[in-house]
Amino acid sequence: MTASLIQTIALYKSYENDGVVTPVLFDINLKIEKGEFVAIMGPSGSGKSTLMHILGFLDTHSSGEYLFQGQSTGVFEDDDLARIRATRVSFVFQAFNLLPRTTVLENVMLPLLYHPSIALHDRETLALKAVATVGLTDRKNYVSSQLSGGQKQRAAIARALVTNPDVIFADEPTGNLDSASGIAVMEALQKLNDDGHTIILVTHEQATAEHARRILHIRDGRIDADMKDFKRVIVNGNGRLK
Amino acid sequence: MLLRDTFKTAFKGVTVNINRSLLTMLGIIIGVGSVVAVSSVGKSMEGVILSQISSLGPKSMAIFPGQEQAGPQGVTTGFDSLTFEDLNELKKLKSIMTVAPVIFVQADTSYGREEGSPRIVGVTPEFFENQKLSASTGRLIDEEDVTGAKAVAVLGSDALDKFFGSQDPLGKRIKIGETYYTIIGAMDPVGSQFGQNVDDRILIPFSVAKNVSSQRYLNLITLQTAGSFDLAFDEIRMLLRYRHGISNPENDEKKDDFMVHSSEQANQILGSVSLGLTMFITTVAAISLIVGGIGIMNIMLVTVAERTQEIGLRKAIGGRRRDILLQFLAESVLLTVIGGLIGIVAGVIFAFFIAEIVELYLGSYRFAVSVQSMAVAFIMATATGIIFGLSPARTAANLHPIEALRYE
Repeated sequence: MTASLIQTIALYKSYENDGVVTPVLFDINLKIEKGEFVAIMGPSGSGKSTLMHILGFLDTHSSGEYLFQGQSTGVFEDDDLARIRATRVSFVFQAFNLLPRTTVLENVMLPLLYHPSIALHDRETLALKAVATVGLTDRKNYVSSQLSGGQKQRAAIARALVTNPDVIFADEPTGNLDSASGIAVMEALQKLNDDGHTIILVTHEQATAEHARRILHIRDGRIDADMKDFKRVIVNGNGRLK
Repeated sequence: MLLRDTFKTAFKGVTVNINRSLLTMLGIIIGVGSVVAVSSVGKSMEGVILSQISSLGPKSMAIFPGQEQAGPQGVTTGFDSLTFEDLNELKKLKSIMTVAPVIFVQADTSYGREEGSPRIVGVTPEFFENQKLSASTGRLIDEEDVTGAKAVAVLGSDALDKFFGSQDPLGKRIKIGETYYTIIGAMDPVGSQFGQNVDDRILIPFSVAKNVSSQRYLNLITLQTAGSFDLAFDEIRMLLRYRHGISNPENDEKKDDFMVHSSEQANQILGSVSLGLTMFITTVAAISLIVGGIGIMNIMLVTVAERTQEIGLRKAIGGRRRDILLQFLAESVLLTVIGGLIGIVAGVIFAFFIAEIVELYLGSYRFAVSVQSMAVAFIMATATGIIFGLSPARTAANLHPIEALRYE
């Protein structure tokens, strides 16, 4: 039997500041399989972003177990975490986080600088492919300030896609967008999922979460609902729900 | 991350705001530029002094009368410690090959309407040999002129220019004091020897100078040693101390009533001047590079703060602590290296213009660059980039990815 892509067992996270311990996540037990589209939902301060940061190797858990493809991550050092972030996972942020005065293509190529096994001469080809996937080929030489919000987020998705990661984490990807642009971004993420990419979406908006196939609801640091085989909302090319 | 990518990224970071980068580099540019300019001027001056020393020849020495003077230029007539008898005894020393006595004559000089006051120097033919002087036209003073006390004169190149310009001076009569002297020759330009301008002089036979000045003492004795300088020094000192009744067992030169100088000594002085100059340049460089370095550290800290979100992103997409550290370190090194290169070019250009101006006044001054000082300044600038860039780069590298991404 193959191991789950992501599995947590009694995962616990707390922060300590000036001797004061603040627990954030309690007893998180979950499994996410390859190819899933999971939305982690919850109100502000519920711990959903913290869970995403731990699952995305941006942060470490305090106790419990986090297995990635069956491998325990508890012993990973900083460089190991960086290597996993470079090769196995990627992120789409609410604020896009594109480098200013840098073209779409250069932004998309950025993760390849840190990828240990992608050859120099393959970088541009891979970046062009990712840019084409999100439909930004005609704007590949635009700098980020020349793009609309939706285009910026699609460029960010292309950047997340370029290393062909095992999981794409999207943290409130529609939070800074108008509804039409938000729908276009969700359509792009759904397409990636349909192509086999595993996507974990963090959002506090029910409408956005409904684009996923599974919704995990977190409240006060605990999973209080796990809706598998959710009947997702599907968007078409015109951005309209159907 | 490949080193190539690190420097490419760093270069983009430096060039994205050219004006700020240039202002940041200013301290390094001024530091390196001043070091290169000062050391180039020093090297040119060294060339001038060396050419003067080599014009004297390696075996040249001079004995000046008096003591406690601020250099030989302070010694003129009136110092009466060197006598004609001293001269005769010096001639007997085995360590000395040739001896030439010198008397300076105080007199105004004129030719037609042209008046001046070049130094009038009474010499023997040995003087020309000792001082490596040669005739550009006509001939020099010979033994016959001295023994016959002939009223003849040889012009230094400056005196020739002043009184005759482009005219042929040979056979012309020039008035020195109350006497007319026939010009028999002129000398090639030399510059200065033992700190005195040899070109603004008129040389007359020693016997004539002695008669005109009625002087019983010598103003200068020039010599050529036969072999070792040390031996010649010792013999001259022993002889003159004995003859002048000076008891000086501790060999303290300040107790003597004469001063012995040699081209070798000048060489040593040049060496210590060079050392002093090097230390001065190093101090200037160190101060300016520290000031420049602090400026760079300051701007790099601002850059790290401004680009915190970018650092967070780079970490989120796989940048290791080392990658971030190297990227920001490379930026500060690039700032100092580019600043250093601009400083070198600016320093060389400045030294070139200085040379163009000084050459007008000091003919033997030549533009020269000190490659060694350029290399040292460049290495120090690079080291400044590393030393002062390390702290901001470490600050960037140690940022937590989540905190950096959330930074506003």
